[in-house]
Amino acid sequence: MKFISNVKLLLKITQEYVNAQFTIAFSAIFSVLLLLYSFNFTEGVWRPYVLYGFIIYAITTLYVWLTSILIKKDLTNAQQIERRTRLLGYPLVFTILAGNVFAAGYGFMLITKNKTAEYTFTVYALMTQIVIFMLSALNIFKPYVVDTFIVAMAAFIGFAIIYTVTAILVARYVTPTYAPKWMQVLGIVLLLATLTGNLFATLLGFTLIRKARNSDPSAIEKWQKTWDKILRNTMAVFGMFFIISMFSLSVVSSWTFDYDFATQNNYSALLQGPSFEYPLGTDDFGRDLFSRIVFGAQISLIVGFFSTIIPAIIGGALGAFSGYYGRHTDNIIMRSLDILYAIPGILLAIAIIAAFGANTVNLIIALSVGAIPTYARTMRANVMQIANYEFVESARALGASDSAIIFKHIVPNSLAPMIVKSTLTIGGAVISTSSLSFLGLGVEPHIPEWGNILKVGSTYLETHSYVAIFPGICIMLLVLSFNFFGDGLRDALDPKSH
Amino acid sequence: MSNNQILGRGINNYFAQSYQKLGAKRSYAWILYVTGLLVHIVATILFFYKKNKSTYSEKYEQQRANIIASGICDEWASEYREQELSKANFFNQKIDEQQLQTTIKQLIDKRINKEVEKQLLESNVEQKSYATYFSELLTKPSFLLVTFIPGIFMYAILILCSNPFVRFIVERIFQSLFVIAGVAILVFTILYISPFDPARNLLGVEATPAQIENFNKIHGLDQPYLVQLWHSLSGLFTFDLGNSLAGKEDITQSIMNKFPVTLEIALFSLVMAIIIAIPVGIISAVRPNSFLDYTFMLLALIGLSIPSFWQGLIFILTFSLKLQWLPATYNPNNWVSIVMPIVVLGTSITASIARMTRSSMLEVIHEDYIITARAKGLSGKTVILKHAIRNAMIPIITVIGLLFGGMLGGAAVTEKVFNISGIGSYIVDKQFIPDIPAILGGVVYIAITISIVNMVIDVLYAFFDPRIRSKMKQS
Repeated sequence: MKFISNVKLLLKITQEYVNAQFTIAFSAIFSVLLLLYSFNFTEGVWRPYVLYGFIIYAITTLYVWLTSILIKKDLTNAQQIERRTRLLGYPLVFTILAGNVFAAGYGFMLITKNKTAEYTFTVYALMTQIVIFMLSALNIFKPYVVDTFIVAMAAFIGFAIIYTVTAILVARYVTPTYAPKWMQVLGIVLLLATLTGNLFATLLGFTLIRKARNSDPSAIEKWQKTWDKILRNTMAVFGMFFIISMFSLSVVSSWTFDYDFATQNNYSALLQGPSFEYPLGTDDFGRDLFSRIVFGAQISLIVGFFSTIIPAIIGGALGAFSGYYGRHTDNIIMRSLDILYAIPGILLAIAIIAAFGANTVNLIIALSVGAIPTYARTMRANVMQIANYEFVESARALGASDSAIIFKHIVPNSLAPMIVKSTLTIGGAVISTSSLSFLGLGVEPHIPEWGNILKVGSTYLETHSYVAIFPGICIMLLVLSFNFFGDGLRDALDPKSH
Repeated sequence: MSNNQILGRGINNYFAQSYQKLGAKRSYAWILYVTGLLVHIVATILFFYKKNKSTYSEKYEQQRANIIASGICDEWASEYREQELSKANFFNQKIDEQQLQTTIKQLIDKRINKEVEKQLLESNVEQKSYATYFSELLTKPSFLLVTFIPGIFMYAILILCSNPFVRFIVERIFQSLFVIAGVAILVFTILYISPFDPARNLLGVEATPAQIENFNKIHGLDQPYLVQLWHSLSGLFTFDLGNSLAGKEDITQSIMNKFPVTLEIALFSLVMAIIIAIPVGIISAVRPNSFLDYTFMLLALIGLSIPSFWQGLIFILTFSLKLQWLPATYNPNNWVSIVMPIVVLGTSITASIARMTRSSMLEVIHEDYIITARAKGLSGKTVILKHAIRNAMIPIITVIGLLFGGMLGGAAVTEKVFNISGIGSYIVDKQFIPDIPAILGGVVYIAITISIVNMVIDVLYAFFDPRIRSKMKQS
């Protein structure tokens, strides 16, 4: 009896097994969705390509289920996963080519025993690169491609090879506390990959260089522990993967996508359904929806980022002063912010845009102003708590000035909840951006933005519903990713949640 | 002593106590001075008249002379000198003899004053402050009778604020009034500094300068900022905002027509959210990390991430166009048509409440008193239903109040999707001109509704939560 409960516990703490369960669930859901979509109910015919997709996903689901049974058996018999089972992870890696990120991620996790944060970063950097390569490759069905297309695609392949090599080296040489000195060179190369927007590579390069230099072991350990906690949360990792893929895609889109397809009218291809040339169809002016959505990601990310960072800085500063000085300063600042807090964010944004006109800069300002009070409240609560700690008292006894105490001692220690809050509100900002654009109050109508695309789609809802469906899915996935990542960050950074 | 006298004394002490309590806070002391100005002028004159006659200052000087004569000062002087010297020695500072002398003198002076005050206090001679003098006056029935009419406002405040609970409500109402006035001023100012010209937008490009001037004159747009602000504010609070710039409709009337629609949908959404979210959150918290918990929380996160206008479009596509179950647009005479707007508007708030309920419940379940309840032998159901939920509900209700505000704001988008002529779509329609009084009215009335809801929730808390009540009484 005791033995069985041990195995149960072992199953629970074995990352691979938990991962397998997730992968089975998601692959099964996608298989069902693909199966449903593969049959055209109105015309009574099968869609062959979707059916192939279903077959691949169904086989993957079965295969993962099989490996999970083997893991269970290994754990029962030998208390650890055997080499034979780990080898079964290699074929799963290739499911990334079918777009099954869950299965590929699981495969990568299964094949090695030595799972450091660096290994996870490398693997996801590789997967991001492959996904971006595949999405960009869809452009070869277009009549022409941009001049930089070939160069960019070659660079993508080059980076993918670098990541593969790094993955092997990291799995072999890097431990949770140690990395060989020569890895610094590799780290610098990886930092260069930041140019493609692949932030996994940035994180990896940064961590590797720090670890190889080994100058401040306690800081490295803290960094490592935080990331270990975040990366253990499967959904947070996938959220991060989707955000970084979107970001990277919008960075490289200027080299691989032609902006003309997204903005120039093409009257020979009005409102066409999905095909190889137009993967998500065209809109009422014959513009390629796929390109429009890719370029729309840029706007969404830019507006989301700025309308989060601006109120975070302003609200954070006001909250810090308010919490540190207390009494009258606190009263004046917080009572004035109460006024802002009483107006719902969207309404305030509408009023500001009504007064100053609808464009991207005004949109960012309008969304920022409404978000200031919540950040100020968060920061104030943190600062009030931290201002009473001994280290602040000792800094004051040593003669540090108020501004030095606030910005050098208190603010750095109260940043964690602000970071979590920002991550969770970027999603809200993305939704607000597209909502306002949908109402005609956001980004200028000629710019490809998700809300603008949806506005067009809403008029063709009955006849060409795909124009409204695809951008909506993108908004939802991006916001969902930010929420997953934010939840993961909160669980890792918040000392209250265990 | 007759009953009457006891009662009379009770009333007298009542005012004095209330005054002492309130006067301790500086802001309240000022309010009392201003509201009872006439009474205070008389009382101040009386106070200074009495003070001059008092013996306090005489005795003070006498004691002081006594202490100086006793020669204890020399002892203190050497004590302070030693102290200053060792201090300077420790910090490696140079000693300036003259400065040292003045420092010592100051220190001795301070000590003498302290000593005198202490001795006087021991012998029961105290200097009356104005506040104590005034509260003494308040205990005299004759003073009360004479000053009741001129100081009626001050007495009203004293009566209202004598009870901590009533005082809390009064403070909260004033705070809300301040916020509402602030919102009105802020929104008006934003619209006032707008670079757009409503006259140009409405009359067209061909309008002559005379026409534009006439238009501005009719609507008062040529007047200075403060005059316009005053007109708008008084219009807002007397529910007479005049006519809109475009179409000459009575703004207050159209807002009154449109507000109930928005409020109805918002309230139904809120009810739906509470009915679904709270049981879901509780189930998730009672069985954390179970399959049910994961599913519920995934659904909640999806509900939080879905843009409401897209959700509306997808609903119209599936339920109206494909399945033809529900009408695509809202019609006041057909109650089925309200179902989709309610669900769409309520989705994100349902998700938020479910997540909040879960985390709040989880926090409460791990507290000591729950373990005690279990140890007492209560069944799991009783522990959750009787002990955990009640405490977990407190933060949830606050969040519901805050979310309700967001929902009224978000209604603009939902109303546009389902073609509902509510207050949100009214504001959006008016913003293109921009029709200043209409937008101002819409935004401010929504803000007022939100402020009132939040105020009521705060007051209800104070009523239901014994911890807040006891804290109020202590302060």
